[in-house]
Amino acid sequence: MLTMKNINKVFKTDLVETHALRDFNLEVKEGEFVAVTGPSGSGKTTFLNIAGLLEGFTNGEYHLDDVNISNLSDNKAAAIRNEKIGFIFQGFNLIPDLNLAENVEVPLRYRGFNAKERQRRVKAALEQVGLGARMKHLPSQLSGGQQQRVAIARALAGEPRFLLADEPTGNLDSLMARQVMELLEEINKAGTTIIMVTHDPELARRAQRNIQIVDGQVCDFTLYQGGQSHLVDTAEKVAS
Amino acid sequence: MFLYYVDLAWRSIRKTPILSLLMVLAISVGIGITITTLNVYSMMAYNPAGERSEQLNAIQFWSQGPDTWDDFHRLITYQDAMNLRKGKVAPAQAAMFRSGMAVQTDDPEVLPRLQGIRVTDGDFFKMFEVPFVYGNRWDKAVDLDPAYQAVIGEKLNQKLFGGENSVGKTIYLNRKPYQVVGVIGDWNPQPKYYDPTSGAFSRSEQIFLPFSLTANEEFSVWGNSSGWKHEPMNNYQDRLNSEKVWLEFWTFLPTSEDRAAYKSYLANYVEQQKELGRFTDNKSPVDSVLMSDVAGWLERSHVVPEDNKILVGLSALFLSVCLVNILGLMLTKFLKRAPEVGVRRAIGASRGQIFSQYMVEVGVIGLFGGLVGLLWAWGALYALSARFGVSEGLTHLSMSMWLITPTIAVGTALLAGLYPAWVVCRTKPSVYLKSQ
Repeated sequence: MLTMKNINKVFKTDLVETHALRDFNLEVKEGEFVAVTGPSGSGKTTFLNIAGLLEGFTNGEYHLDDVNISNLSDNKAAAIRNEKIGFIFQGFNLIPDLNLAENVEVPLRYRGFNAKERQRRVKAALEQVGLGARMKHLPSQLSGGQQQRVAIARALAGEPRFLLADEPTGNLDSLMARQVMELLEEINKAGTTIIMVTHDPELARRAQRNIQIVDGQVCDFTLYQGGQSHLVDTAEKVAS
Repeated sequence: MFLYYVDLAWRSIRKTPILSLLMVLAISVGIGITITTLNVYSMMAYNPAGERSEQLNAIQFWSQGPDTWDDFHRLITYQDAMNLRKGKVAPAQAAMFRSGMAVQTDDPEVLPRLQGIRVTDGDFFKMFEVPFVYGNRWDKAVDLDPAYQAVIGEKLNQKLFGGENSVGKTIYLNRKPYQVVGVIGDWNPQPKYYDPTSGAFSRSEQIFLPFSLTANEEFSVWGNSSGWKHEPMNNYQDRLNSEKVWLEFWTFLPTSEDRAAYKSYLANYVEQQKELGRFTDNKSPVDSVLMSDVAGWLERSHVVPEDNKILVGLSALFLSVCLVNILGLMLTKFLKRAPEVGVRRAIGASRGQIFSQYMVEVGVIGLFGGLVGLLWAWGALYALSARFGVSEGLTHLSMSMWLITPTIAVGTALLAGLYPAWVVCRTKPSVYLKSQ
């Protein structure tokens, strides 16, 4: 579903070149729940931005659903983001002037759905996250956990193939974080592929696979199966 | 999507009312000033003759001697006017000048009033399409054989006769009785193209008298009278026989063939006059004749002064200064919303969609600016008319301006919004998603 081969991302200024990703290789299969961990500045968010077509890459190969992402036009990239990818951010990133229903409706408008279809999808998505009764509320009237659930509803409304979550529980207390995590697991069980960046090892352990990024490279990954895990050297895995 | 963008624009305006108000004010002041000057300009430059513009031709002669005037005078001599009238080559023609007299009726209650008068030929009414409410022009015979008849305007008819059909009644002009043969309706072409020399934006006269009476009645001239040489003026007859120019002469020539034939007739006429010792300047007969259609006549009469054109340019310059201010304000406002743009881009908006959203917002602000600008323009024109006595014909906000103003306002706002909208649509979503 998602294949990255030898992806490099270099940020250049007049004086400095920063290699955010170096020969980055990854394959994510349909239906997987992948947690991405790593120290601050290791390149997790850069990876997520590239995966979500929010940023380009310097060189390498990236295929998403067999579509070659290199040299994609802005319109095409926007259409793919809209149809195939759902985003969940640490800061929720809801539009403060729009009520919950209007926030969830935004990507559907860009998709060109008619009013009836938009209404149906908004209702279904908000009900799925347990906020069906608060459609007319503004984001500021909700708690952090509720706002994140609205963001998830917005991501889900377009029925994306995969969700990209950047520290989705980073701004939440433990109870809220657990609720959001349970929601993500539920979504994953329903068939949506999820890639989640997190600092929290507890949350990472709940994913099916944990990838660790260090200095812009996949350092290792851990498969969690029935509570057991084993560490595999990435270089060896890529070589095999 | 357009209505969605309009909705978003309205929300954005309400969210930042002061900034939005500043933008609307900046646009409206620029637009108000531009439209005020543009309105005055367009009123001045308007050609009221419409389709007949080419068919109506004012006649000018190079009748002056050598080393005197260096251009055609807009007026002609009485002797030339009389000769052309007798020639009767044009299907319709009218000599004319402006005079004035005290007007009275038999009713002692009606106080005498000084009134501007147009002395002209009967064809005047047909040529300039003057509408009649009662009666008609004087008989054609009166143009040759003078009779004390008059056509009056509806307004004067209202004052003198209470608006009733006054055909057959008598008015007194400088105590001499004239019979009313017709009452014209509300007719006031602006600019007053048939005689811009006596005030291009003054109202049309309310009394019209036969030109054939001029010699008998020795009407005073309430307009320009110029001479290029010294001539003793001991009596009115001296004026009529002189080389002084003080009359307009208009012809109605429906086709280009008619106009070409008339021009050749005029050239022959000049040749004859040269033989008689007139038209002494070293200019060929053909070059001594000028026929101007209405558009050309208004141009030659400098109905639109150069100052006015400069003023329109200056107001456009002022509008562009406002435009730069708006550009800065918009850039500030839009960049403040870059994080929201980042979110929209992340969830599927293309650059084009973001650009359209912000251009619609700019357009809505421009529309508000245009509407407020219209009020400024209306107020400014009212002030020009009420406080500074500028002619009503110039200070009337024309219908076209009610449409043009919002169009110009939206257009200029869109122009100012291009750069801010382009900057914001190129926002890198990842930068703002991180920072939110």
